[in-house]
Amino acid sequence: MLAALVKKEWLALLRDLHGLAAMFVMPALFIVVMSLALKDIYSSPIGALRYAVDARDSGVQATLLLQRWQRTHGAALPLPQDWQGQLRSGRLQYVIVLEPGLSAELDTPALPTEPRIGLLTEPGIDGNLFNSLRAELVGAGGEAKARAAFSAPGGPDDAGTSSMARLVKAERYAGNVGPRPSAVQQNVPSWLVFGMFFVVASLSTLLIQERQSGALGRLQAMGVSRVTLLASKALPYLGVNALQAVVMLAVGVWLMPLIGGDALSLRGANVGALLLSLAAISVAAVSLALALACLVRTHAQAATVGPFLNVLMAALGGIMVPAFVMPAFMQRVSAMSPMNWGLEALLTVLLRGGGVADVLPNVLRLAGFAVVMLLLAALLFRRRAT
Amino acid sequence: MLEIRSLGYHYKGAQYPALSGVTVAAKRGGILGLLGPNGAGKTTLISHLSGALEVQLGSILVDGVPLEKVRRRTPTRIAVAPQQEAFYPMLTVAENMAVFAAAGRLNGTRKRSRIEECMALGQLERFADVRAAKLSGGLKRRLNLAITLLPQPELVLFDEPTVGVDAQSRAFVLDAIRRLADEGAAVIYASHYMEEIEAIAERVAILDHGRVIRIGALTEMLSEGARVITLKAPDLHAQALQPYGKPERSGTHWRLELDDNMRPTYVLKALEEAGFDVQQAEFGRASLEQLFMSLTQRSLRDS
Repeated sequence: MLAALVKKEWLALLRDLHGLAAMFVMPALFIVVMSLALKDIYSSPIGALRYAVDARDSGVQATLLLQRWQRTHGAALPLPQDWQGQLRSGRLQYVIVLEPGLSAELDTPALPTEPRIGLLTEPGIDGNLFNSLRAELVGAGGEAKARAAFSAPGGPDDAGTSSMARLVKAERYAGNVGPRPSAVQQNVPSWLVFGMFFVVASLSTLLIQERQSGALGRLQAMGVSRVTLLASKALPYLGVNALQAVVMLAVGVWLMPLIGGDALSLRGANVGALLLSLAAISVAAVSLALALACLVRTHAQAATVGPFLNVLMAALGGIMVPAFVMPAFMQRVSAMSPMNWGLEALLTVLLRGGGVADVLPNVLRLAGFAVVMLLLAALLFRRRAT
Repeated sequence: MLEIRSLGYHYKGAQYPALSGVTVAAKRGGILGLLGPNGAGKTTLISHLSGALEVQLGSILVDGVPLEKVRRRTPTRIAVAPQQEAFYPMLTVAENMAVFAAAGRLNGTRKRSRIEECMALGQLERFADVRAAKLSGGLKRRLNLAITLLPQPELVLFDEPTVGVDAQSRAFVLDAIRRLADEGAAVIYASHYMEEIEAIAERVAILDHGRVIRIGALTEMLSEGARVITLKAPDLHAQALQPYGKPERSGTHWRLELDDNMRPTYVLKALEEAGFDVQQAEFGRASLEQLFMSLTQRSLRDS
């Protein structure tokens, strides 16, 4: 009997094109669009920004500083007549003004007391980029001053082979097993979790339809138990979640490099931990979907409550905005969101090279959430039936 | 087969009970018509039989065994054919039959043969691969009926099975229900359409305000009508009618239950001689609607 009911659910699902699109096409599109849009978030685009230099100091130190800057940031554009206007409109993204007296300042062993380098950026520049440019200019000035102070007069120019920048080695650490962080590596887990939870909308719509038509009542009158009915709903959607995982990972691994993005790397990923995390997310998502489907009474409620809850959970759970950029209070809220548990579990496997023990805390949280939701679903299902 | 004894049900927060002291019986091979206006308690009674409501007061027995126990052991002995199209519109006719056959615990050759038989009964074979959503209203009713009969229930309750269907499909459904009873099933047929109940039921129970106000063999109930005249005459009053029987006012009409040996023609002549202008008089075999009106003081279709 269960097999026939599961088959019925599959057929109903396959013939619900809107539901399928929401569960498969939407998260895949999100992965593609967001990965391409955020492609450079892990490799700074500072070198590609359009800039010009207003060199009001033509001394040796100012010229050397400018040469070193151009080596790492590309050649400057000729300074246009109306550079202020171009800066305001964004055609130029920043202008460096080397004020008169800069070379003399760099030659002096004392620390500066007034500005000699100006950094003017377009109004809409990202805050992180602004700070990064400012820090680089401070660093470049410091380096120039250090060179001037310590190089022997007439000694060999090291031609940039040594630098203060060499003092610091910075990397996003993932050990020896983790893949290189990229937008794809971040976006596939995010939107996969989002897509897996999106079964809420489809499942509740089908259950409402079944309840309103009387088909559910008929099945119950024929003696089909609550457990069988709930299981016949849950099993196909667990299958849908498994398919979603395969499709979304495939999009990351194979489709993204074909369209100019980075490829999702599964190198070194612990398969057991990945499967365990996916299973826990799936059980939590389907349980939530069942509880919500039993809670709503009408098609209109199903069509609004499900997607609304999904988007809200995604926003809170760090799918849309990374949790680490949220204020402390919101980070605590985020840590209580099932989507965040799922996302963290997947990031632990796909980005941090974690194993089963590492994902276990989040897996247990998801399992606990699933148990509560299943109990709620059973209770609501009984209440609706009578 | 089915015995409902002193059944009572009170919904939480409701002012009055939905059912009160309802006693009804249905026999194998017979059709019991269940009549009642909206709010009479039909749905509550049907919900008890479908298992959606538990018995609060009284008892429901199937062959002497409490309904609850029967539903637990062999739920498919009792079937309720709901008013709405209780199947899956996105599935084909054959797929729907397969799902409900499995839900009815049919399998193997028995499942196949029952599906074939019920498809044939509903004349649905040509539409096996058509999605249920695309069927006409009449075909949907036939599919509803075919699904109901899949597990070969012994007691079937039909809830308004012909609402909104064309005359041809209506006749088809009624004929199928009649045959079902002829084959030995006990049938309860709830409907607003009194002519349908007159056409297929042997016994009738009239329900109003949660109580059975009349139950009995249809022929007996209607022949009682021969002892009743319904009259309309200006200024007619109870005193003028009392010498001939038991008068009862029903709206603008008077219902007169004649005394023994009192002939309707004699009464009419006597009233005219007394100066009453009799504008309307009906007597003889009453219709079910007349009977219902006289019992409930209202028309089912108006309620």
